[in-house]
Amino acid sequence: MPGKWLKRTLVPLAVLSLAAVTACGDSSDPTQMETTDVSQPITISFFGSDPNATWNNMKDDVGQAITKATNVTVNAEYDVSGGGTQKISLMTASGEYPDMIFPKGSITKLVDAGALIDLTDLIDKYGPNIKKVYGDDLSRLQYSKEDPSIYVIPTNAGVGQTSFDAGGGFEIQNEVMKEMGYPKIKTVNDFEKVLKAYKEKHPTINGQPTIPLSLNADDWKIMITVTDPAVNATGGTPDGEFDINPKTYEARLHYKRPEDKEYFRWLNHMYNEGLLDPETFTQKNDQYLSKIASGRVLGLIDQEWDYQQAENSLKTSGMAERTYGHYPLQMTESTKDHSFQDAGPPVGYGIGITTSAKDPIRIIKFLDWMASDEAQVLNNWGVEGKHYEMKDGKRSMPAEIQDRRVNDNTNFTRESGIGMYNFSVRYGDGVKDPSGNYYTTNFPEQIVAGYTQPEKDALKAYGATTWKDLFPAKEEFPVKEWGAAYNLPAPSDPSYTVAFQKSQDIVRKRIPEAILASPDQFDSIYDQMIAELSTDDMKQMEAQYSQMIKDTVELWSQPVAAK
Amino acid sequence: MESTTKQASSRKRDQAASLNSRKTGGFWKLFKQQRYLYLMSVPFVIWAFIFSYVPLWGWLMAFQEYKPARSFFDQKWVGFDQFITLFQDQQFYLALRNTLAMSFLGLIFGFIFPVIFAILLNEVRGMVFKRTVQTVSYLPHFVSWVVVAGIVTKALSTDGGIINELLVSLHIIDQPIQFMAQGQWFWGIVTASDVWKEMGWSTIIYLAAITGIDQEQYEASRVDGAGRFRQMWHITLPGMRTTIIVLLIMSIGHLVSIGFEKQFLLGNNLVTDYSQVLDLYALKYGLEMNRYSYGTAISIFNSVISIILLFTANGIFKKTTKESIM
Repeated sequence: MPGKWLKRTLVPLAVLSLAAVTACGDSSDPTQMETTDVSQPITISFFGSDPNATWNNMKDDVGQAITKATNVTVNAEYDVSGGGTQKISLMTASGEYPDMIFPKGSITKLVDAGALIDLTDLIDKYGPNIKKVYGDDLSRLQYSKEDPSIYVIPTNAGVGQTSFDAGGGFEIQNEVMKEMGYPKIKTVNDFEKVLKAYKEKHPTINGQPTIPLSLNADDWKIMITVTDPAVNATGGTPDGEFDINPKTYEARLHYKRPEDKEYFRWLNHMYNEGLLDPETFTQKNDQYLSKIASGRVLGLIDQEWDYQQAENSLKTSGMAERTYGHYPLQMTESTKDHSFQDAGPPVGYGIGITTSAKDPIRIIKFLDWMASDEAQVLNNWGVEGKHYEMKDGKRSMPAEIQDRRVNDNTNFTRESGIGMYNFSVRYGDGVKDPSGNYYTTNFPEQIVAGYTQPEKDALKAYGATTWKDLFPAKEEFPVKEWGAAYNLPAPSDPSYTVAFQKSQDIVRKRIPEAILASPDQFDSIYDQMIAELSTDDMKQMEAQYSQMIKDTVELWSQPVAAK
Repeated sequence: MESTTKQASSRKRDQAASLNSRKTGGFWKLFKQQRYLYLMSVPFVIWAFIFSYVPLWGWLMAFQEYKPARSFFDQKWVGFDQFITLFQDQQFYLALRNTLAMSFLGLIFGFIFPVIFAILLNEVRGMVFKRTVQTVSYLPHFVSWVVVAGIVTKALSTDGGIINELLVSLHIIDQPIQFMAQGQWFWGIVTASDVWKEMGWSTIIYLAAITGIDQEQYEASRVDGAGRFRQMWHITLPGMRTTIIVLLIMSIGHLVSIGFEKQFLLGNNLVTDYSQVLDLYALKYGLEMNRYSYGTAISIFNSVISIILLFTANGIFKKTTKESIM
């Protein structure tokens, strides 16, 4: 860390002087605002915590159109992996930030370092489109009860989103269901029976041994395919690592639910029956994907975005019948899959402006433009006349564009830039613009058009149009008062973060151990884990999290006070 | 750590130079004589100062509850709190054990194999064969650990992995072994892949040392009736001794800082008790949580251990073999 001392003395100075500059800008002095002239070209630096392999430095069609309309060029850097945590730690240590940042869960670090500016007044003055899309009640965007500033504009999820398709639940190859005569399946036992029967009939597929069920436990993916499903399959609400009592808002690690233990006991049973891939906990992400792509993994418990790559290669190599269907299975028939429970307007992950930005007003104006109808259609559909056409007031993609989009997606996205500019708040699937067309390109006709024939056959057998039709609808559940807990900024105090990290280390060690144990050892290993998760520091961590949930519910229940 | 050794050795050299100068009539005379040498070393002294001494200022962080974006004077001083937390954490001791175990294994095998390989390679007479073997053996050095980890996991897989297939077809085992799932195998797997990857590369320096051995010694021994093995034992090995010892002492200084790529890439949740190393621990519980002070405390601990190990090793070798780096 060379020259740290220099930075440590100079950066606060720089921050101070910047604060003075922005303070002038905010003091509603009209002459100051003239400086943010939108006709002047400007380059905005940006860091995104998620990888983006198709970013093309705005040389794509949509990017060119954006620069033409706003005179803004975004100079973006995306994290390669790791969700930006390390990169953002280094930023806060050095005090050097890009103008705009998408910090994901690391937002707490930036706020603690005083790196993000409060957007409340900026949105109020310069954000008519942002307010139009999000709604006037911005209270949900406030950071916390102690600090009711708005630091990020949510960009990770669409407002008013109506999902038309399901990507989670339990997956079974469409070929397997076809051969079994499309049985009605409701519980994990049905799942087990189907996999077992098919495996006995077909011990090998394409000359290699059949794998009835494989999971992906590489790094954080263990949460997606091993631990989260324990909640989803037992009627719990998806809130990340915690189980939150909807009445008292008390949070506990969800592993402490007795239902969780039964789910893991079932996985233990699957392993001992020889149905769960013994390599589940040692294989790497790419090994998992290559097994799926070979067409011999009958069942998964995953999210489509995780195994999409492998499914795409199944399609291109002519094994469309080996693609997967999604089923909302439960441990017992008495519970329901909560995947589609409404979490209210999106909060959490979004884009903020840092103290390093020289012209926050210009940036917020840009972000506001990105929330306009024009920009949203541009980002989702591309350039009119090139990527889509308006015929009799109906927006549609020509067949050859559609074809490239499905079969040559990476190159197409690089060239067109479609969907790459989610820089501001936007409408989700199922929302229509003033012309009566959908803002996004995900709507039922389009989704069904993207299904393979075996998928369509399976859906027809179950009397459904999309996989979502098999899942309980969002109307069956109340709206969650705290949104989705995994999207909320978790406490940043070391007494919380250290205990939380320890709990994760314990869980990721003990759960695989318990699943791979012999059935009579399962209880003692699981109980040992619960004991390790019940120490004083763990209880204190849970209490801190409960408090955060309570504060959130309280904060959101009051409209944002005008300043 | 590397820097500390360098500083230490350069300091020694300076002292030696000044001692010499006192004998031959004054430091300034010598300085004048060797002024171009001094001039040439200036950039490196500045380099060492900037990159090795200036950052030591950051060590103060370990005694604070450091928060970013605050001036040095606004930080909260906490004395030895960070160290107390560190020494009370069970995981730290686990990480320390794993680090030392894997680095000692790496040290032992990472020395024995290249030395033996260099000697054997030296005995090969066919030049083409020798060069081919050498090139093939050091190529893995240029492959990144990400790729090596992929190869190793695939080779040890129970699902068509080459090692298991081989063992099963030779009837050594009936059932494929889950190599990657056994904690007790992990140190061995790491050491073996390390040896495979680095053996050829480390051999180069020993081969160079062997080239420096006077050929007359071999001729003399042949006249005295020494066979191939006697020559290796009495001439080649002693001829390499200085190189081996210097390299050994330097690696001992690096024992604690073995990095974490191997462990991070080869490890999985089932073997964390054996794969967690200090650098990984510092990354996870320090930097990733913005606990800069805690991370600094860990690195101070590392440096102190490294210096102790280095001086101990150096002292032992100095006493027993009269070879040392300072």
